[in-house]
Amino acid sequence: MSIETFKYDNRIVRAFAIATVIWGIVGMLVGLLAAVELFFPGANLNLQFITFGRIRPLHTNAVIFAFVGNGMFMGIYYSLQRLCKARMFSDFLSWFNFWGWQAIIVSAALTLPLGFTTSKEYAELEWPIKIAIAVVWVAFAVNLFGTIVKRREKHMYVAIWFFISTVVTITVLHVVNSMTMPASFLKSYSMYAGVQDALVQWWYGHNAVAFFLTTPYLGLMYYFLPKAANRPIFSYRLSIIHFWALVFIYIWAGPHHLLYTALPDWAQSLGMVFSLMLIAPSWGGMLNGLLTLRGAWDKVRQDPMLKFMVAAVTAYGMATLEGPLLSIKTVNSLSHYSDWTIAHVHVGALGWNGFLTFSMLYYLFPRLYRTPLWSTKLANYHFWISMLGLIFYVLPIYVAGITEGLMWKEFTPDGFLKYPNFLETIVHVVRMFELRAVGGTLYFAGLFLMAYNLYRTAKAGQFEPDTEAQAPALEKAPAVHGKLAFHRMLEGRPMFFTVLAILAILVGGLVEIIPMYLVKANVPTISSVKPYTPLEVLGRDIYIREGCLGCHSQMIRPFRSETERYGEYSKAGEYVYDHPFLWGSERKGPDLAREGGKYPDAWHYNHMDDPRSTSPGSIMPRYSWLLTQKLDREALPARIAALRRVGVPYPAGFENGPAQKEMEAQAAKVVANLKQGSITGNPDKEIVALIAYLQRLGTDIKSAPVASTAQ
Amino acid sequence: MEEKIISGMNGVAWYGIISICIFVAFFTGMLIWAFSKKASYLNKMGSLPLDSGETAANEKSNAEKL
Repeated sequence: MSIETFKYDNRIVRAFAIATVIWGIVGMLVGLLAAVELFFPGANLNLQFITFGRIRPLHTNAVIFAFVGNGMFMGIYYSLQRLCKARMFSDFLSWFNFWGWQAIIVSAALTLPLGFTTSKEYAELEWPIKIAIAVVWVAFAVNLFGTIVKRREKHMYVAIWFFISTVVTITVLHVVNSMTMPASFLKSYSMYAGVQDALVQWWYGHNAVAFFLTTPYLGLMYYFLPKAANRPIFSYRLSIIHFWALVFIYIWAGPHHLLYTALPDWAQSLGMVFSLMLIAPSWGGMLNGLLTLRGAWDKVRQDPMLKFMVAAVTAYGMATLEGPLLSIKTVNSLSHYSDWTIAHVHVGALGWNGFLTFSMLYYLFPRLYRTPLWSTKLANYHFWISMLGLIFYVLPIYVAGITEGLMWKEFTPDGFLKYPNFLETIVHVVRMFELRAVGGTLYFAGLFLMAYNLYRTAKAGQFEPDTEAQAPALEKAPAVHGKLAFHRMLEGRPMFFTVLAILAILVGGLVEIIPMYLVKANVPTISSVKPYTPLEVLGRDIYIREGCLGCHSQMIRPFRSETERYGEYSKAGEYVYDHPFLWGSERKGPDLAREGGKYPDAWHYNHMDDPRSTSPGSIMPRYSWLLTQKLDREALPARIAALRRVGVPYPAGFENGPAQKEMEAQAAKVVANLKQGSITGNPDKEIVALIAYLQRLGTDIKSAPVASTAQ
Repeated sequence: MEEKIISGMNGVAWYGIISICIFVAFFTGMLIWAFSKKASYLNKMGSLPLDSGETAANEKSNAEKL
């Protein structure tokens, strides 16, 4: 047996580690700004590029894909080499992965504030960037599988299983959810519409959380926790069950994001049941992690890295218990659209992903620079300030969320809504938003302590670009038959394993996806629902650009508390021309599904100019630039053509003349309406298109006989 | 309205039945597989991350420094 000597690549690990710290600071700074804007709407300095609607997606993308994404690559590039006893397959691919990923992040940081967005949550980036993501991801996949193929360790440790499931599932999710029809270089329309678009989006959104924020980090937990505790994982058998149960069940649970919406009931129930089942594998994994430390808890007291790890695994346990509970339809009817969801995701993001990332950074820097951590004391301070930050962040937001949910539903003894004005419910919890920003600031401050500590560690040590290692070459195993052969095939052949993993995720995916495609043909059409007019199309695009759906849903659930407040509940058939769907996922302002006709055009004009002039106490930012910016009418033909290609029945040649005429006529009408409110409107301005769109919302079925009784 | 959508789908009742069958089959197989593993194999697998393959001198000097 020949012993081979080779070198692990530490440069790529260091590059990702530095990127993790930098993007962590950027992503959380943007989050902090967004948090401040929620109680101090003037914090955007009346700049459109940093309004809440535009920076909310920037914050989520930066934290998920830049901070956690780089952290994930950092951990995988370090652990995979050591678990495979091989250098990464290709240094070129490693660096292509690194610089490609940073370029994508920078393009996101530029396009999202500029208003280029698809509006689909965690998939907001426009189509050229989506293609770049696919290319970089494939490079990562080739590098990962190449390393696995040339490994010197016969068996694939469970962490590698988690990495493989991440790579293949994210590929499937990204491709299916990115099906989009370009209208121009940075504008596209989802191929799917309404209910179908919502199902695809939340199948993606849910599983992006599962396979981007959870499975890779579980793999990293299974590597770094035993390393730090210097003992094997509590039960390897449990880790096998954890893996297969998790990847199999997770993918079915997506529809729990759409409970009580116009989504078919059976899909909602399926999502709920599988969500509840997820508690078992998730807690199995959490306990497996915590029990690894049995008999070694003294180490947790001394080592801040282990403190972060234990807190991370505990946060994982809490978030994965809460998630299924929120999927129970009764609980969801209270929690959905409220800040409860925001608190839930931050237990996961700040606790699970954040703490695990910090833990890995504290583990890696001393090893990469071959020196002890500069200050253990400072790292301990970081731990406690982050922990306080996490608590001060989530507690007020839990209180705010539950308060909002209860106030939205409360009736007087006479049967009227107790808080008929939505604004009352928001004004009531604004103090909680302020407290949340305090918690966020503490957590953010901790990041700087870590960055300084890591910097001093790096300065004190000497970076080792390559670590020398030795292992016997992997010899071809002698032929075996029967049961043993299957075992060997499963662990020894990564491709066979990958196929099994893909099957496991696809089964759940297909059971959802096949009906999803059937759903399109089965949504009852409503004859009075017509495509948007040209001016409304442009107005809708402004609504998307400004990220209005970050605070306003367009989905009235079939509860009396909602129909009393907003009007007739939403029907699946009302959304057949919505490319993309704009149901939204939280309410910082009222639902807009039946906004059309509620207020005169002049009210909307004044409200956009200064929301507090019409709604005292409102936390909505000013959109005064809509009153002065010229409407991009030249974009219309390409957009009408793109919408026709995805199935909206505009007549042939409509965009070459008739559409423009119709647009001008409708704009003139809006201007005439504004004049009645003593406002001199200009038909060329963006506000006119937005008003036209808002006044259209939900009116299609108001004119129909079925809706007239309900109104 | 939801009922209309479901009943309008051909053979939608089969989705539930197929789902539960796949589910039970998958978990039975997986549990049998996991519990058929020998302790020696599990111990070996569990200790994989502890051996980084770094050369002995390298690892020793590193451990001393840390």
